[in-house]
Amino acid sequence: MQDFIWLVPLLPLLGVIINTIRGTLAVRQRHTAAHVGDHGHADHGHHDHHNAARIPGWIASAMVIGAFVLTLATFFSLLGQPARTAAGENGRFFDVTYWSWMAVGNFSVPFGFLIDQLSIVMMLLVTGVGSLIHIYAIGYMSHDQRPTRFFVYLNLFIVAMLMLVMGNNFLMLFLGWEGVGLCSFLLIGFWFEQRDPPWASTKAFVVNRIGDFGLLMAMFAIWTLTRDVQGNPLHSLMFREVLAEQHVQTLQFTQTAFLGSQYTAAGAIALMLLLGVTGKSAQIPLFVWLPDAMAGPTPVSALIHAATMVTAGVYLIIRTHAIFQLSPSVMNFAAGLGAATAFVAATIAIGQYDIKKVLAFSTVSQLGYMVAAVAMGGYVAGLFHLLTHGIFKALLFLGSGAVIHGFGDEQDMRKMGGLKSKMPRTFWTYLIGTLALAGIFPLAGFWSKDEIIGYAYDNDHRLLAVVLIISSMLTAFYMARQVTMVFLGEQRDTSIHAHESAPIMIWPLILLAIGAVVAGLINLPGLHSLETWLAPVLNEPVAEPAEFHLGLAGLTLVLALASGWLGYYYYSRNARRIKANERDPLYRWGGDFYTILEDKWGFDSAYDLAIVKPYKAIAGFANRIFDARIIDGIVNGAGWVVNQASRGLRVLQSGYVRSYALMFLIGVIAVLGYFVLR
Amino acid sequence: MSEISTNAYVLVSAILFTIGVIGVMTRRNAIIMFMSVELMLNSANLALIAFSRAKASTDGQIITFFVIAVAAAEVAVGLALLVSIFRAKRTTNVDDVSTLKG
Repeated sequence: MQDFIWLVPLLPLLGVIINTIRGTLAVRQRHTAAHVGDHGHADHGHHDHHNAARIPGWIASAMVIGAFVLTLATFFSLLGQPARTAAGENGRFFDVTYWSWMAVGNFSVPFGFLIDQLSIVMMLLVTGVGSLIHIYAIGYMSHDQRPTRFFVYLNLFIVAMLMLVMGNNFLMLFLGWEGVGLCSFLLIGFWFEQRDPPWASTKAFVVNRIGDFGLLMAMFAIWTLTRDVQGNPLHSLMFREVLAEQHVQTLQFTQTAFLGSQYTAAGAIALMLLLGVTGKSAQIPLFVWLPDAMAGPTPVSALIHAATMVTAGVYLIIRTHAIFQLSPSVMNFAAGLGAATAFVAATIAIGQYDIKKVLAFSTVSQLGYMVAAVAMGGYVAGLFHLLTHGIFKALLFLGSGAVIHGFGDEQDMRKMGGLKSKMPRTFWTYLIGTLALAGIFPLAGFWSKDEIIGYAYDNDHRLLAVVLIISSMLTAFYMARQVTMVFLGEQRDTSIHAHESAPIMIWPLILLAIGAVVAGLINLPGLHSLETWLAPVLNEPVAEPAEFHLGLAGLTLVLALASGWLGYYYYSRNARRIKANERDPLYRWGGDFYTILEDKWGFDSAYDLAIVKPYKAIAGFANRIFDARIIDGIVNGAGWVVNQASRGLRVLQSGYVRSYALMFLIGVIAVLGYFVLR
Repeated sequence: MSEISTNAYVLVSAILFTIGVIGVMTRRNAIIMFMSVELMLNSANLALIAFSRAKASTDGQIITFFVIAVAAAEVAVGLALLVSIFRAKRTTNVDDVSTLKG
């Protein structure tokens, strides 16, 4: 399998190329047809419009499914190798370098892949969930104007995401990191003729850029500061060289100054990496872009902004855990940040009326869980939750997409209600996703979330465990609120005709629902398959299975059930009070607190006041005063001087050949005279 | 037969060149101006040959061939231009052709 691994990212890339060419040819053909003005062609075009997404969609889907099959084969071939070599080292990986990507002086970076236990798990998630979402999108985008372009972007995203998790050095990771950022930008702003998407995509891009700055700085520092055992600079970005134990240890002993304080190199690098993580994985303080990213098409929200891209930060921490482990203070800080994000985002989700916004804040909250878990050192728990969340959150987003699609493109939950009877299959799959997210036994979310809370409890992070349990109660509450508002009771806005979606959209939902039920199996307490699988890559001598706390799990479950029931009870009792454009019934109890939740804790307004407004003021000053007066003054002044000078000189160009000849003669005499008389 | 000195050649060359310059400066007929330019070129050739002989080196003679070749090319282009101008303007007077000015 090792020899064919390059096919995995190449297949989606092939999809990009084929669909781009097809799209270009189709546009050209349409132009020709328009010129000829053939009626037959026009009719034909109308017929195509019925589901224009079908052909490009199946091409794109086939490529991703192919990549999934290849990944699966690679997984089994890794499984066939012994877990550890005779020397006790990791036996299940291959590190292939294809060519030297760039080599300038002593700087050289290869283009190659590192496939180990961690990357193969991520690849399975990306291609597996990606395949289902591609197929779903064929139905979802059937009435869209530009389906080919959509699938080109979607395939390109898969390519970039695979680069991110497969790369064998930091620069490859960065290539994927920026690639997914670009695709995210393109897809959030996919409906660019509407008002919000272009703004949202710009916001996502700019906020992500702050995080990318952190990752870049970390890469520079790693390149410069890592030393080999003799103390000579290593000058490498390769994971297997930089992160090898004997090399990474040297980072502890190097001091670096930053903003006037001293850090160990490890601490500085970890802090910079953490900045990258907060950008991509939407943690406080940079999470503000993710809720706005919901302006994109729903399959995009499911694939990029829930299941895969936003988990890149968690992957980054696990991949570079050797560096993080050297700096306990940064680890603790990151864990606190993650738990705070989990809590804050969960509260905000209660105050949202847009069906996708609720899920967006839920995603931010769950990413907080993952970051907290990996920052406490619970890498397996974090990755476990990443995988289960990737499945059930994709399910929820696709379910919400089915609701939006079948409810006249309306996203306001206050207008919905009673959709259970109109779209039963969507309802049941959505309910499974909800229970999984709320952490109800025995669905996937129960096992993974409980493992994180148990890990926090075991490792003297009691406060974090409490915060996470409260967040999990809030999760159950807002999901119960959502399901009650959308599916139960009576339809509030009866002007919209609600209907079930096409089978091509329902089947991925069913498959993901099955996944949401059984995904807990991969790391059940007592079996610890994922833990054992990942142990060699995490440099742990023996896998230490986290203990299963029956009491803790029971407590969390009971609290989640109770608050979930509370959410159901409250919103079905007060169903009549929910009206379009009016505030939530909870406002009567929460008052101004509820306003704060609706206002997203004021993060957006604070950034607007502290950064966006001053920035715009400076930009406005630069535009009106500096640019108009000074820069334009210099440029126009230069032009004016030349203009004036040439006004005097133009009389010399008389048009008479003989006067030119005379000037020439005078010039020759002058030059000759100079040389003779010198 | 006595040897003609290099000075004499250069003197002739200078006289020819001056005649050429005066011709270019004073005449308005384009064809005469052309002839004057040719006269200047050939006076330069004469000086080159004279110096070549004085120095017993072939460099000057080689350059002379180049000058002849370039002059031939120049005449070809120049006369073609002249024919076009004449067709358009019905004149070979260079002072009548002065539309291209600042």
